[in-house]
Amino acid sequence: MTPQTAERAAPKSVEELCALLARCDREGTRVAVCGGETLRGMGFPPTGNELLVQTAALKGIVAYGPADLTVAVRGGTTLKTLASRLKRERQFLPLDAPKPGHATVGGTLAAGWLGPRRHRYGRPRDLLIGSTIVLADGTVARAGGMVVKNVAGYDMSRFYVGSFGTLGVLVQANFKTLPMPGAARAFLAPLPEGTRTRALAQLRALAVEPSVALWIDGFEKEISGDAGAEGRVFVLLEHTEALLERATRDLRSALGRAGVPETQIVDARARDMFDAILDAYVSTVADRSITYRIATMPDRLESCAIEARDVVRRFALDAGVIADVMNGDVIVRASRSDTRDLSLKLQVLDDALHQVEPRARVIAGDHPVRPALRVWGADPPAIERMRALKSAFDPHATLNPGRFISGI
Amino acid sequence: MSAGVEDRLRGALGAENVKTAPEDLSVYSFDAYSEGKLPTAVVIPCDTRQVSAIVKIAREFEEPIIARGAGTGLCGGAVSVEGGGIIVSFARMHRLLELDAANRRAHVQPGLVNLQLSTHVAGAKLFYAPDPASQRSSTIGGNIATNAGGPHCLSYGTTVNHVLGLEIVDERGDVFTTDVDDAGYDVTAALVGSEGTLGIVTSAWVRLLRLPEATRVWLAAFSDIESASETVSAIIGAGILPTALEMMDSVIVSAVEQAFHAGYPTDAAAVLLIENAGFEDEMDGCEAAMQTIATQHGALSWRSARTQAERDALLAGRKGAVGAIGRIAPNYYTQDVTVPRSALPKALRAVEAAARENDLVVGNVFHAGDGNLHPLLVYDKRDRRQVGAVLATGDAILRAAIDLGGTISGEHGIGYEKRDAMTRVYGTEDLAAMARVRDVFDPQRTRNPEKIFPSGTRCIELSVPA
Ligand SMILES: Cc1cc2nc3c(=O)[nH]c(=O)nc-3n(C[C@H](O)[C@H](O)[C@H](O)COP(=O)(O)OP(=O)(O)OC[C@H]3O[C@@H](n4cnc5c(N)ncnc54)[C@H](O)[C@@H]3O)c2cc1C
Repeated sequence: MTPQTAERAAPKSVEELCALLARCDREGTRVAVCGGETLRGMGFPPTGNELLVQTAALKGIVAYGPADLTVAVRGGTTLKTLASRLKRERQFLPLDAPKPGHATVGGTLAAGWLGPRRHRYGRPRDLLIGSTIVLADGTVARAGGMVVKNVAGYDMSRFYVGSFGTLGVLVQANFKTLPMPGAARAFLAPLPEGTRTRALAQLRALAVEPSVALWIDGFEKEISGDAGAEGRVFVLLEHTEALLERATRDLRSALGRAGVPETQIVDARARDMFDAILDAYVSTVADRSITYRIATMPDRLESCAIEARDVVRRFALDAGVIADVMNGDVIVRASRSDTRDLSLKLQVLDDALHQVEPRARVIAGDHPVRPALRVWGADPPAIERMRALKSAFDPHATLNPGRFISGI
Repeated sequence: MSAGVEDRLRGALGAENVKTAPEDLSVYSFDAYSEGKLPTAVVIPCDTRQVSAIVKIAREFEEPIIARGAGTGLCGGAVSVEGGGIIVSFARMHRLLELDAANRRAHVQPGLVNLQLSTHVAGAKLFYAPDPASQRSSTIGGNIATNAGGPHCLSYGTTVNHVLGLEIVDERGDVFTTDVDDAGYDVTAALVGSEGTLGIVTSAWVRLLRLPEATRVWLAAFSDIESASETVSAIIGAGILPTALEMMDSVIVSAVEQAFHAGYPTDAAAVLLIENAGFEDEMDGCEAAMQTIATQHGALSWRSARTQAERDALLAGRKGAVGAIGRIAPNYYTQDVTVPRSALPKALRAVEAAARENDLVVGNVFHAGDGNLHPLLVYDKRDRRQVGAVLATGDAILRAAIDLGGTISGEHGIGYEKRDAMTRVYGTEDLAAMARVRDVFDPQRTRNPEKIFPSGTRCIELSVPA
């Protein structure tokens, strides 16, 4: 549960934000930065003593050159607003974050959100070509620009991605956009356990790579379609019309070879289904669930997902799993309707999951036990440099104090 | 120089791996852009432990450290600094340490030559996507330090998109690793493209891609450079992103034809070389769409390479273009700027005007799809007028790129060459943010000092070497 923060501020301009941050930094007022609050389940929650600074009013598209395939957008703009503008020019930006109607561009970048299409289109940071950030002391720093190749100085824009609002507030992001694929088609099929290993291997080996290939276990409420007691497989193909036919044929025969029964094809609502899945990544079961993202390697995906799921079940908790075949990450949600002993169980589970894979971080869940969990996973080897970076950018620990890794 | 540092280095690396004789040092005192002073020593470590030992010794003797790959850099990044310095060559750290084909990644030492990586992994039907035209000699370490680009970066992105993690020797000689999937700050992103000023890369995990099933190469010829560049803008504007979209003007084409007989039409004012890698199923559609655009913009001819040999020849011509200029000119200077892609026609007009004004011959060969221009200014360095003209033209091109909303380097880096131009694209606060990062990784300014940052800001004063 996010504690009720005493005060809120929603600066209407970058200048206003600068003045506000400069004052807070000077007076020792701590600041919690927030966008659409769609990823509020990430990181350590604010303590409640911070001034909550909302970026929502800093919105809008600053510059868009469809012919250049570049766009500059303010940090508080929602992903949906941006996507609809790009769509008119048949372009898109595969940021793939949940709840695009609320999620802001700045928040999505700051949280370092990673979507399932990144193996194909690049990570959000790789689509970012420039940025404007307001630092803790209220100064404004720009980086990069509106060109797709730029090696003038350090790549500060990419560096800010994933910094969780602890280095500064992203008020503008410049991206290279992509032309929309000619056609999209989604597939949903039950994935009986006996077919799983072969099916996942077949998916990874497909010559015409799918944009998304997920093994989903649980999440019946969030993701519609034939549930399949042992899980389902979701595939999204995005190609030119000419290639889509072949990709479809290849996919069906690959799944068929693995013994996967009937595959349901979704054409018109393929995007909606994908959006529902993205929402499921962070969907919670009241305040009785915790969801982790575990970073592993594609060849360890299945075993890691099974281990994680079984660990959750060992504690008599309900497990939901989304395993990303193309990128090798596992989303695992632990929940339970009955709250008895839940705090204790979640704490022990936290240990057990980190034994499966140290790089497991919490991405959703409002359970009060969250502050006691290792929400960012194990400390990385460069942690000392990260602390030093924090002090270099925010010496008074004004921004999002204590919410990031290792107390940063 | 103090005998102490030399002895200590010899003790750590073996005498044969420490060079101090002037004739040996001079080989390492220049890159493809400039010549520096003679360094204090050149050392050739064989592993990370030795690099760490070198850094510790250098620190004790207050010697700057300059990491060096193949020295193909075009901005003076790898040359020695005013204070001498120890140049660390990675000539002996050139191995592919591990190929993890299942996860399509490789662990490599920094001295591995770019092209060799792709050659090593071809058996697993994989390749390394970043392909600077210097890929036959430039190293992965140098590519990482400059965030190198290349023709294929149009669809695959530059080096930073392909680096998964790094092993770094820091300013104290300690070793740490980064991984793009680690929690915390994206230290990898800060290090890639930092031109050796933040740390020494001693190994890297890089992403590999699957070799494409089909590749096609097309060549479109134009009667003027304007229509060629408008064609590029129109192709991109139509949402077509081929794997590579390169442009060459008549100066380059005739040099390439003299040198390699690549099969380019010598009567055209400009040619577009287009490569698309992917699947046979979509090639015809892609070709038809681009050919239509080219024709609408007045293409004289459109040719599709029929055979593998023909494709290879066309691509090899592009990769060898800069070298081909070297054959016809005593000296040449390569400028490197990027502009928004719709501004290409304007940018090329500005290049043309600047060269004409200064009475210089300019050849253009560049990554048109990315808006990344490389005007090659041909001159003779014995002629003082021409040297002055080159500097003036180079500067005018920078100014034009900035005016068009572009930047001062697309892929070659800042090094010595453009450090004073940094203030033309960044304000004080923008540079200060970079300095905050530098403060963490190189507080003493001993990692490749004098590079990237304007000479006025906290760095040792020095004029750019001729
Ligand atoms: C004919 C020609 C064509 C070219 N084409 C392209 C092109 O298409 N695209 C492109 O991007 N560039 C191109 N370049 C420029 C150059 O090849 C690249 O900048 C390349 O990445 C440099 O690699 P290198 O191994 O030669 O590095 P060097 O020139 O030796 O060093 C370059 C920089 O990297 C640093 N460095 C080297 N190794 C390390 C390390 N292990 N750790 C830390 N820092 C290190 C050096 O200190 C220096 O600052 C071209 C150059 C030539 C001569």
